[in-house]
Amino acid sequence: MSAASHKVPVYCYQCVAGPDLLKVEVRDGVAERIESNYDVSAEHPGGGRVCVKAYGLIQKTYNPNRIRQPMRRTNPKKGRDEDPGFVPISWREALDLVGERLHRIREQGLTDASGFPRLAMSTGGGGTPVQYMGTFPAFMAAWGALDQGYGAGQGVKCYHSEHLYGELWHRAFIVSPDTPYVNYIINCGNNVEASGGVAGIWREADARSRGCKRVQVEPHLSITGAVSAEWVPIRPKTDAAFLFGLIHHIVHERDWREVCDLPALRDRSNSPYLVGPNGWFMRAADSGKPLVWDEADGRAKAHDAPDLSRPALEGAFEVDGVEHGPDGAVHTHLGVRVRTAFQCLLDHMKPYDPDWAAAQCDVPAHTIRRIADEYLAHACVGETIEIEGQILPFRPVAVMLGKTVNNGWGGYHCCWARTLLALLVGALEVPGGTLGTTVKLVRPAFSRTGSVLPGEDGFMAFQFNETSREGWLRDPHIRNAYRTLVPLVSDSPWSPALGPAHLPWLFQKTPPANWPRVHPPDVWICYRTNPAISSWNAPQVAERLAEFPFIVAFAYTDDETNHFADVLLPESTDLESLQLIRIGSTKFTEQYWKHEGWAIRQPAIEPLHDTMDLTDIATALAERAGILDRYVEAINKGAAGMNLRDRKGRFDYSLDPAQPPTREAVWDAVCKAASDDLSHGEAVHDLDWFREHGFQLRPFPQLDWYLHPAMVRQGLRYELPYQERLVRHGHQLANRLREIGVDWWARQLTEYEHLPTWEPFPDIWIDYAREYGRDPDEFPFWALTARSMQYSWGANVGLPLINELANNIAGHRGVVINRTAARRLGIAEGDELVLESVSGQTRGQAVLREGIRPDTVLMIGQFDHWKTPYARDLDLPSLNSLTDLSLKLTDGTGSGSDLMRVKITPVAKGGRR
Amino acid sequence: MSAAANPRWGMTVDLNRCVGCQTCTAACKHANDTPPEVQWRRVIDIEQGSFPSVERLFMVVGCQHCEEPPCVPVCPTGATQQRADGLVTMDYDQCIGCAYCAVSCPYQARTIVHEQKGYFASGRTAQEVATSHPERQGVAQKCTFCVDRVDSGLAAGLVPGVDPAATPACAASCIASAIQFGDFNDPESKVSRLSRDIPSFQMHAQLGTNPQIRYLYETPAVPGRDSAVEDDERLSDLANPLTGQLQRFWDWRAAMNWCFGGTGSGLATMAVVLWAAGLMPATLVRVWALGAGALMAIGLFCVFLKIGRQMRFWRAALRPHTSWMTRELYVVVLFYLALAGLLLSTPGDAPGVAGWATGGCAIAFLICQAMILFKARGIPAWRVHPVPALIVVSGLAEGAGATLLLGALVSGTASASGVGEGGRAMEGMAQALAAGLVVLVLIHASLWRLHVARAAEQGIGPLARAEFARIGGVLHGLGHVGPAVLGLCVVAGIGPTPLVAALAGILAITGGFWWKFRLIVRAGYQQGFALPRMPQRGSGHHAAPERHAAPARA
Repeated sequence: MSAASHKVPVYCYQCVAGPDLLKVEVRDGVAERIESNYDVSAEHPGGGRVCVKAYGLIQKTYNPNRIRQPMRRTNPKKGRDEDPGFVPISWREALDLVGERLHRIREQGLTDASGFPRLAMSTGGGGTPVQYMGTFPAFMAAWGALDQGYGAGQGVKCYHSEHLYGELWHRAFIVSPDTPYVNYIINCGNNVEASGGVAGIWREADARSRGCKRVQVEPHLSITGAVSAEWVPIRPKTDAAFLFGLIHHIVHERDWREVCDLPALRDRSNSPYLVGPNGWFMRAADSGKPLVWDEADGRAKAHDAPDLSRPALEGAFEVDGVEHGPDGAVHTHLGVRVRTAFQCLLDHMKPYDPDWAAAQCDVPAHTIRRIADEYLAHACVGETIEIEGQILPFRPVAVMLGKTVNNGWGGYHCCWARTLLALLVGALEVPGGTLGTTVKLVRPAFSRTGSVLPGEDGFMAFQFNETSREGWLRDPHIRNAYRTLVPLVSDSPWSPALGPAHLPWLFQKTPPANWPRVHPPDVWICYRTNPAISSWNAPQVAERLAEFPFIVAFAYTDDETNHFADVLLPESTDLESLQLIRIGSTKFTEQYWKHEGWAIRQPAIEPLHDTMDLTDIATALAERAGILDRYVEAINKGAAGMNLRDRKGRFDYSLDPAQPPTREAVWDAVCKAASDDLSHGEAVHDLDWFREHGFQLRPFPQLDWYLHPAMVRQGLRYELPYQERLVRHGHQLANRLREIGVDWWARQLTEYEHLPTWEPFPDIWIDYAREYGRDPDEFPFWALTARSMQYSWGANVGLPLINELANNIAGHRGVVINRTAARRLGIAEGDELVLESVSGQTRGQAVLREGIRPDTVLMIGQFDHWKTPYARDLDLPSLNSLTDLSLKLTDGTGSGSDLMRVKITPVAKGGRR
Repeated sequence: MSAAANPRWGMTVDLNRCVGCQTCTAACKHANDTPPEVQWRRVIDIEQGSFPSVERLFMVVGCQHCEEPPCVPVCPTGATQQRADGLVTMDYDQCIGCAYCAVSCPYQARTIVHEQKGYFASGRTAQEVATSHPERQGVAQKCTFCVDRVDSGLAAGLVPGVDPAATPACAASCIASAIQFGDFNDPESKVSRLSRDIPSFQMHAQLGTNPQIRYLYETPAVPGRDSAVEDDERLSDLANPLTGQLQRFWDWRAAMNWCFGGTGSGLATMAVVLWAAGLMPATLVRVWALGAGALMAIGLFCVFLKIGRQMRFWRAALRPHTSWMTRELYVVVLFYLALAGLLLSTPGDAPGVAGWATGGCAIAFLICQAMILFKARGIPAWRVHPVPALIVVSGLAEGAGATLLLGALVSGTASASGVGEGGRAMEGMAQALAAGLVVLVLIHASLWRLHVARAAEQGIGPLARAEFARIGGVLHGLGHVGPAVLGLCVVAGIGPTPLVAALAGILAITGGFWWKFRLIVRAGYQQGFALPRMPQRGSGHHAAPERHAAPARA
């Protein structure tokens, strides 16, 4: 007779849209089933549910292909075709081996001859590995110089431009509609129904039932497009033209004075700022403050002048003042004619009428006009809503962007246009409108509204990376040089991963001129990442990995990256290890809670194999590297998620830096500190309490979903539509690079514009064939990818259950191609195709659909595995084998777009699989 | 709260909320421990129209717990039952795995797994072993609406559809709140309110099953519209989830029962008729009777090989009041009893009780065969008229053919041994039989033409119709024209009678085997899925209409 089962509360944070809470049903020591943790149904913005990926966790745990004990490489040769010759070793041997390498680095010095850290570490999954890393962040903090800039697909796989510009403009590392209130969404390629997680799907479904209309603008009919009221099949990479057409219609074909939110433009934007003849804000000569024209008395005044009553939005005026150009240049003007920033915008948008846009983006002009009119009709300009007793503007319209829309060339244009569309009707950061979710670049990281602090010129503070002569970091401190090349990426713990994270791979192969030589790190640690599959031009990244001298891979199964490893360290996985994390408040992608607190992940079962909890691994490595005291002190200072000593001295659960703490001791202290902080000492809970109850919450104000109250309270403006600060940094950066003879970043510097100018972005990819001496006509198709709800971020390609489930959704079996286009090429359902770009090729079976443009093909997810057990037998294609690592395809923020021009050759007839 | 004393459990599925994420599929697999590739609940991905006027949607499918479930009456054992609250249940210990329920379900909700396998090639994991259900091996399985959760929840005072622990796992887990579960007899339940407030449809409502899943298809931004009729090309695409897949529950082994059993019972019927008409010498009755019994035995043995739990085959006797499969079993028993009586007695000039009983059982057996196929309502190519008549007529024609063949053999033997009288008697019988055969194949040909002509309007899909075309050529040539021409030759005395009669018989049997085998194994496409109404969304003329005013404030 088997014992009764019990349910163990844990969390799932396999994707960026988490965390979601679940319970594991365990009987006789076997984890049998997963179910949502319905105890949190009322508080969790996704009804307390978990998504399909969480149900893979059991198979993930019992996967017979797991690495079962530490392994050491015996074949010194590295290459895709080299057998690593892994042999089992004990944990002591493994940790000693790694510890010895780490120790050697500390003896040699933390950086190499080029000034780059000798130790590098990469994690994947949009920051989610931290939710599984235990105290490893404390090890990283204690270590010192560490290169976290080796990308695993960042720049093409994330919402890169949105991360950077979004955070600058409205603290929006990720943008979301205010879904519970929004009534009209223009969705350019944003695939929220596949990537928005439980909360996203739950809230968006409610919005649809309520009557919200969503217009999906994208080349293929995605999951999200499927459940949208309208699909607009746009030509790839022309979204900026579509959005410019919308703006043109609003400001030129409609009377913007009637349809736009004039108070928002006057008071919450830089629209009334006067712009001098050199393109910089006209400023008061004495205070240096930007000037606005007050129509009340016909004078120019500082933007924050107490007597400013009617700032002019349009027109040109004669004023005296100064312009602050780059590198301290000051242009003094007397009686010079200047325009308002909004007038500049009106003039700038003049050429971009819907007929022009239609020719670029293949969306009929009347459709563009109609969508703009619908947007205006739903914007409710002038209306208000009461939230928690406070009256706020109510603007239930939003514009969302997908990843290939807001990445790479044209990404800036789309992000700017989207945010401007919100601003024009006052829909930025107000109920119903376009919101940010969380902050990753500015501080404090745990409070988006708390990060709204006054900065220069009436805008929110933002810490650009220095570009002045004195402050510019001439010698990059890590290999991707984010502080040197990208002022906008700032310098937070997230910045290294957001820099041009593909540059280390690229520069290792092709050293750029006048630049420190990029050597591989002495030791590279990888955790929950597989760049040899997930990067752009993944095969080339695999070649670079083979050149790394020593790789420590936290390994779950064999994979394409740890194939090159020297040591495999199998950590206890999701259901076998222990951690407490922060939940609630607002998180991407649509996690808007009315609560905040903490949740636990704990061993539901004993480890199945000879694995170690990452917290114990971190402690053991800290000891071996001789940094135990610093490691423990980092934990005490909050590197495990919570400061163990209250800053105000109210509590102190800190650990003894002289002793290696046990896993339980660490998390018991974190539990106590977290609950003490959360409850102000009223409900202090230890580890055992969290093990039983799973989570602890307290209310979080809905008002903190919106920046508007904080902006009004501090009299701040959004830094739109005119970009002055950013362009000044761009010009200064150009000067700096010129001074050291770097000309390979010149194209990227052209992206710094006060108001973005359209260029035919598709041609960048079409003409790219010429880089390889090929004819663009050889590659007539656009190849795109899309997120898969079932797979994305889950590291679950090796799970047959997930494959079975995913196959219910069209496109997971191969290359999605338009039925008519396929017929033209003699391609039938299931035929084997070879897709070839200038830089690579992939193979897959034809999946014929109508919901895709005839000039486009689609490959869902990231595949082409050649090592990962089970996945390697799926024979699925991958865009990552077709895209190229290239400066030509890298924009000014360091991102690329996940698309490529390809040719398609049918190579074999096939039936359905 | 569920107020109704007699609940009627059901679901609403909102097509505008469902995003096809398969969370319900996964939650169902966990809650019900289903093995690889078995999905009691799944979500299909449908596309309609052609670029640039396209619509795509996701539809939750599985057992519909019909008010009039076609699977229940056909079940020969009572393993599939319907409870008072409408839930259609499975008793794995009763089921013999005959798959009659599976071919009778128009919703492709049933599966049979014959061997326990894990997901990984290297063997089952500890969790797979711990959650295995050997009782489900070789028997039918399907969605139960998580009857255990509902019952235990009710016992614990919980409300199904409200409390997750008392709600089917798919509905409880749904991350879009697309699937709702509850009591349709309670006007205040969420499912009742939703189906009252939002237009909905039932799938295949025209079949009269009254399925208890209602699909909601409208929102204020996305009105509904009539679904476009799928063209034959799209419905011929097996990658299109609306297209019914070829059933594989009944393979050649099952088909052999219709082939051998049809010929055998036809043979027995013909023999008794000829005997009664004085056209068959009493001495030969045993030969025919033995032949018929052997042919039917071969067919029955084949079908025995097919059932999932062979040692439980006797349980098929438990549902004579509803199941034609049970009735067939009884008829078989009676047939062989009568046959035994016939063989043990001395045949007279006319059929006695045993003779008439044998013939009666044979014709009853043919009718059972006809009705088994006819009641398999999941297969459009089987469930319509004139399929039963085709089966009966074909059986009789094959029986006539087999009688001719046997007669020719006997006649040849008689001639060889110099028994002239017997040969002349055989000739008379052959002429009468040949005339009958001609009539039967002409009737069969007419019925087949009728079946083909009405196929499209009877809802038979293009894949099955294409198979009909392939069947028709051979059937008409081998099974109709051949026997008819040769039969007329026999009647007219053209050519050596035994040889021509034997040829006519062989062709008649071959034609019968051919069309029945192909009908069952190659034309047995399942119903597929269909949407009479659709949300209006997508592109081109599928897209929702323009909307220039915001809806009322939430």
